[in-house]
Amino acid sequence: MTSDRSVVTPAVVRRVAELARLRLPDGDLERWSGQLSRIVAYIDQLAAIPESAFGADPPGQATPVRADEPRPGGGEQALESNAPRLLHGYGVVPRVVGSGS
Amino acid sequence: MDPTGILPGVVETAEAVVARRVSAVSVVEGALERIAAGDGRVRAFLEVTGDLALEEARAVDARVAAGEDLPLAGVPLALKDNIWVAGRRTTCASRILEGFRPPGDSTVAARLRHAGAVFIGRANMDEFAMGSSTENSASHVTRNPWDLERVPGGSSGGSAAAVAARFVPGGFGSDTGGSIRQPAACCGVVGFKPTYGRVSRYGLVAFASSLDQIGPLTRSVADAARLYRAVAGFDPLDATTADRQVGDPEGALPRGVAGLKVGFLEEASTGYLEPEVAESLETARRIFRDAGAHVVSVSVPRATAAIAIYYVVASAEASSNLARFDGVRYGPRATDADLNALYVESRTAGFGPEVKRRILLGTFALASGYYEAYYGRAMRVRQLLCADFDRAFAAADVIVCPSIPGPAFRVGEKTDDPLTMYLSDVFTVPASLAGLPAISVPSGLTRSGLPLGIQVLGPRFGEEAVFAVARAFEAGAGFPDALSPAAG
Repeated sequence: MTSDRSVVTPAVVRRVAELARLRLPDGDLERWSGQLSRIVAYIDQLAAIPESAFGADPPGQATPVRADEPRPGGGEQALESNAPRLLHGYGVVPRVVGSGS
Repeated sequence: MDPTGILPGVVETAEAVVARRVSAVSVVEGALERIAAGDGRVRAFLEVTGDLALEEARAVDARVAAGEDLPLAGVPLALKDNIWVAGRRTTCASRILEGFRPPGDSTVAARLRHAGAVFIGRANMDEFAMGSSTENSASHVTRNPWDLERVPGGSSGGSAAAVAARFVPGGFGSDTGGSIRQPAACCGVVGFKPTYGRVSRYGLVAFASSLDQIGPLTRSVADAARLYRAVAGFDPLDATTADRQVGDPEGALPRGVAGLKVGFLEEASTGYLEPEVAESLETARRIFRDAGAHVVSVSVPRATAAIAIYYVVASAEASSNLARFDGVRYGPRATDADLNALYVESRTAGFGPEVKRRILLGTFALASGYYEAYYGRAMRVRQLLCADFDRAFAAADVIVCPSIPGPAFRVGEKTDDPLTMYLSDVFTVPASLAGLPAISVPSGLTRSGLPLGIQVLGPRFGEEAVFAVARAFEAGAGFPDALSPAAG
């Protein structure tokens, strides 16, 4: 329970936010770090379970396989009624190729 | 129809409509009147869709007149705002889904419609079902009908409050770590989470896919069984649904508990319990003994690790599921400057603080360098917990524990302390992680007049036993249906 500050540091929070496509103001990083560290310190109780407690992994429960048959999913209609920008039935996004980003 | 002033329940309403003692239209009009009179204080709904509901009620009356025997004829329901209903919006109480219109009914909504139910409105919730108080809604806070200064629990707090306030006889919520059972207990109503795989999630906005289940909230166990039966069963649109018989949950209700082994969860009694919660457990022991059950103690040692496991697993799955909300296909778009900015700014503006916290936690647990220590570890301990339950169910037919560690807390009491808020779900999360059916039944009131709940857990696909035991407890506890909450 004492290692929390060293795990979810403000630098780690910043990196994780980048991975999650979220922007956190620099001024908020300390607060996020404190909250997440406290939660992670609680989660760290899982690390205290001795390795001997775990047996062999049980067989996985696979989701049943179904026939791979195409069928209408309503996607076009959903796109048309919900897309923030639409042109000729396609969702519009900023230029991806050649934009330098 | 209602000389006592007690709003009829789900079964009673449907039977009255089928017998044509009352029309579906008049039932829905009554619900709309109660909502108009009381929801200004409770604020259970994000939107009341009165015109659509009346239109649906007219269609139900026509079906009844044509001789259809509908199990939910004319029953007005409050559906949580993460379940698709055709013709309505679905926002998950989030800015990032503002204005979203689903392509059609969820499987649950389609089955309810087929059974004759009517959708009265979109019930408030914690944003993306992340929370235990409904304070994380981007729209507004829902109040507990028993005490308007308190939260209704969460995340299906709107559905629970709408049923507790007697606006509607039933509702539906989703339960990922307790989000049906915990608000049900806080609001003095019944809340049921089916076995993982029993009810289709097609059209439920995903939070944590290995945990999410849809289930009913009602004022009685029999009503919950009726609603559950209408939606349960295999669905080709959800590959995780089980292709097996649902059975007869309503037929199981009168079975009683004589000769059954009712196992009280040891781990629920070893930690600190609020005195009145401990008293309610003792009362439950007496009720089951008096009803002829063999009351035993069972141990699920890893139940004490459940919250730690849950906040890794659920957050990891949420961070993945919520990656789809990026401003491209739906919801408000914050900028068109460039693609990365579009993603980042749309998500930053669209998600509230708790959703961001879970996404950050989940992304952390899945990130290179942390994955094995957090996600991998949590999944392995989850297997230990499942094995614990397997052993416990070898010693008892059902397991009993409290639903909540204490009565509903005050609005704002825990908002600055996420970990304390998370611990509100300490008794509900274990069944979620193991995929078990579990029901919360009102057990009585504290001395200050707030509801508490007792939970009954069954083995996977053991819904019939859960309903039978819950009904026996309900009969013994005698929670007064006529008791009007403060806002009723």
